[in-house]
Amino acid sequence: MKTSQFLDPKVLARIDNLDLLARTVVDGFINGLHHSPYFGLSVDFAEHRPYTPGDDIRRIDWRVFGRTDRFYVKEYEADTNANFSILFDISRSMDYTSHVVSKLDYGRYLAACLAYFSRQQRDRVGIVTFDTDIVDYVPASAKHLDIVLHTIDRISAKQPGALEAPLLKVAEMMRRRSILVLISDLYEDPDTVVRALSKLRHKGNDIIVFHVLDPAEIDFPFDEAAHFEDLESGERIPVVPETLGDQYRALMNEHMATLSDRLIANGIDYCRFVTSKPLDYALFEYLSHRERMSRVR
Amino acid sequence: MGFSLLAPLFLAGLVALAIPVIIHLTQKTKKEAIPFPSLLFLSRVPYKTNRRQQIRHWWLFLLRSAAIVILVVAFARPWLESDAIGGLGLESAREVVVMVDQSYSMAYGDRWERARVAARGVVEGLGPEDHGTLVLFSDRTQVVQDHAGDGVALRAAIDAASVSAGVTRYALPLQVAEQILFESQLPIREAVLITDFQRVGWEGEDDIQLPQGAVLRRIDVTEGEPTNVAVTDITLDRSYRSGRERVAVLARVVNQGQDSVGNAQITLSIDGEQTASQAISVGPNDSEVIRFPAFAMPQREVRGSVQIADDALPVDNSFRFVLSPGQSISVLVLEHANAGRDESLYLTRALGIGSEPPHTVNVRRVTAFQPSDLDGRSVVILNDAPFPRGTGGRRLREFVNDGGGLLVVLAARSRTGSWPEDAIDLLPGAIGVPVDRLADRGGTLSVTDYDHPVFDVFCAPRSGDFSEARYFRYRRVQDDGRAAVLARFDDGNIALAELQVGNGKVLVWTSDLSNSWNDLPVQPVFLPTIHQVMRHLARYAPQQPWFTAGQVLDLSQYLATGVSDIDVAELAAQVELIVESPKGDREIRQVGNAPEYLPLDQQGFYKVRRPEDADPLGTIAVNLDITESDLTRLDPEQLVSAVTYQGTASSTVNLAATLTPSDKERRQGLWWYLLVAVLLIMVAESVISNRVSSKGS
Repeated sequence: MKTSQFLDPKVLARIDNLDLLARTVVDGFINGLHHSPYFGLSVDFAEHRPYTPGDDIRRIDWRVFGRTDRFYVKEYEADTNANFSILFDISRSMDYTSHVVSKLDYGRYLAACLAYFSRQQRDRVGIVTFDTDIVDYVPASAKHLDIVLHTIDRISAKQPGALEAPLLKVAEMMRRRSILVLISDLYEDPDTVVRALSKLRHKGNDIIVFHVLDPAEIDFPFDEAAHFEDLESGERIPVVPETLGDQYRALMNEHMATLSDRLIANGIDYCRFVTSKPLDYALFEYLSHRERMSRVR
Repeated sequence: MGFSLLAPLFLAGLVALAIPVIIHLTQKTKKEAIPFPSLLFLSRVPYKTNRRQQIRHWWLFLLRSAAIVILVVAFARPWLESDAIGGLGLESAREVVVMVDQSYSMAYGDRWERARVAARGVVEGLGPEDHGTLVLFSDRTQVVQDHAGDGVALRAAIDAASVSAGVTRYALPLQVAEQILFESQLPIREAVLITDFQRVGWEGEDDIQLPQGAVLRRIDVTEGEPTNVAVTDITLDRSYRSGRERVAVLARVVNQGQDSVGNAQITLSIDGEQTASQAISVGPNDSEVIRFPAFAMPQREVRGSVQIADDALPVDNSFRFVLSPGQSISVLVLEHANAGRDESLYLTRALGIGSEPPHTVNVRRVTAFQPSDLDGRSVVILNDAPFPRGTGGRRLREFVNDGGGLLVVLAARSRTGSWPEDAIDLLPGAIGVPVDRLADRGGTLSVTDYDHPVFDVFCAPRSGDFSEARYFRYRRVQDDGRAAVLARFDDGNIALAELQVGNGKVLVWTSDLSNSWNDLPVQPVFLPTIHQVMRHLARYAPQQPWFTAGQVLDLSQYLATGVSDIDVAELAAQVELIVESPKGDREIRQVGNAPEYLPLDQQGFYKVRRPEDADPLGTIAVNLDITESDLTRLDPEQLVSAVTYQGTASSTVNLAATLTPSDKERRQGLWWYLLVAVLLIMVAESVISNRVSSKGS
């Protein structure tokens, strides 16, 4: 798969427009993603503050001292070279599709777009793919965009998945605070999901959860009685959609609502993507959501 | 509502109801498993087997079940009891035959308009289940049937109908009504007679009777006592004065009313111009004959009419005729060279009597016969004379071949040897010796063919007695089989024989006509017989001054006699003739040698002409049948009682009582409606199931 396949010009055009919007309004999509947790060396002057013991005397602004006879330290806006890592669930359930695009493909398009977009912001880009364990790990780096895209290209869903164990490993591997985007269908108990992500969150990572679902998983449009087979476990159960459909839809809606509430309550952004919707539309929806959230903050 | 089944065993087919039940209860589980991302939530839903046995798609299930039930019931042939027939409106279904008189007496006053209004009213009253038939009648009938229930065809026929030139004949429409009502299966059968109830239209026919239960309803369109004056007949009195033919017209006027008619003007018109007018008075129920002054007859055909002033029925106030110059038959009598003075006395005297047609007779010795003597002749009589020899003989032979008539009288001087060889075929056989019947006081003659034109006037009883004449001597002729024998003597010998030679005819009489060998010339039948022989040989066809509406005219006569410029080859082929009716309609007829009949059904003058000629070949006057002018009324009750079945009961009750269940089922035909319902249900089922399928897929 070529890189350009992910970087659909139409999609990127929409995202570029959205980028301009973000820059113009507040922090925009990328800035909103990673307000730098550090003040560092940068060409962008931020402010002066009185010198306190322990400060690096190299940062004292001598010109201000000459004019005021007081020590002030120059502070600069940190550079936007934050870590941006994608946590990609590639369990077999992600390979499901009821129409054209599977959840896995949809996630790949999404991941590629975000990686490319982040690299445009001079972020360090990395990716972690996992099912029951970590499958691929590309550390965040300014030079890893091609590797990330190549990793996305060769993703295949072969194994059942789990969320807690691989994310625990990720938390152990991540030494620097990062922006983490989790792409998954989240077929876990909401407590398990929150528990797995809380570890990452507690280490100062900014986490965004992209809940990717097929429309059939939400609407359950099946009509004829049949055996349903679990893609991950291979288990089969007889299902009469006419009698089970309503209950399934109720449980699914309850699951999504619970996830949303619990994740937001834990400071984790949650956004649901349905594969029947255009990718750019989903991104736009997410960015709008982030914008609203940033204003609240 | 009583409901029965003719074949209840078919209800066993209701077992088929299990089919949709099984289909709808049995949830067809796909053999292939449907892959699903996670059964996390599905496995949490309680699973109950009995839920799979619930009927789904109730509408489809009901439709399919209903289709099967209705189909089974249809095969069981359901029918409703008689008291339930009303639900279908069948108990009031009627078979109605509307008979409308269109004879020319209906032109009296406003009778025709009233008849049409009444007929429209009857037709408007027909319901959708009713069957209507319109019979327009006079002396012929026109039947229009309408089983569509909307009466459109009947109304159109009523609007298009008009008074005809025919006369009233009630038997014709009543026979039609009898047949229709007899064959009808509807419970109520009714005949409606709309007429002026003329007595002349009903002759008390006793072989017409409407079927049991049928009702004859009458609608009388007459009003008050009718008065009618009509010109019923004319006579053409021909006379010759100073070599010119003069014709006087006598007209008979009849007053059919109860009031006398005084000083009514009656006029005679010739070729459209009024030539005479007189006043006439006629008492009630009386007639008068009026004679118009004679006029000189031109040498051409003229059209004439006698017209009396209009009254309430004007169509019979005129009488039309066509007048032609008198035709005479030119006869040449050839006698033997040794014939006596009075050899042809009786013959010539007989031919000299009578004016229709007059005969022009010339007598010659056969030795003095010249070919030019045949110019303008119609008939030649060889009165016991030999056949001419030489040029005269050949010319006479040609004369016969071309259509001339020849009467050969074989008497004392006639022998076979006296005839040349080339003329011997004009005889029916060799001439033999005379037969002498003096010993037994003469033989008698018997006519063998009274249908022959010579004898057809004598066919009626007491019209002429040929047995009175005695034949003492006659020539024996050996019949060689070529001739048609018209009369024989009592010993079997030929008395009169006919031969067809070319286009001409030859009659051979084997005795004499001079009151010597027989006494026929002094018998009453002699003169008419001689006249008939001359007419036959001369092909005399008197022109009929007028025809009566309803008669037919043979158009081929205009090719045979009236068209001299048509050659034989053209006659063999079809010749186109144009017939113009009195109303101006033009009709093209292909006429050949075979008779081509033209029905004369309009009052007035018909014209027959060739397409390329402006002048007509002939004009035909057509008058109305005067019997229709008698407007005397018939008692309608008399007619109704004569044709109605006596002891009529309620037709519905009788019908219901006589119908078997099979008849009722067949008449109601409910199975047909049920099958239509099944068809509609299956269409609906297809639509719904397609939608369900497309939704499911």
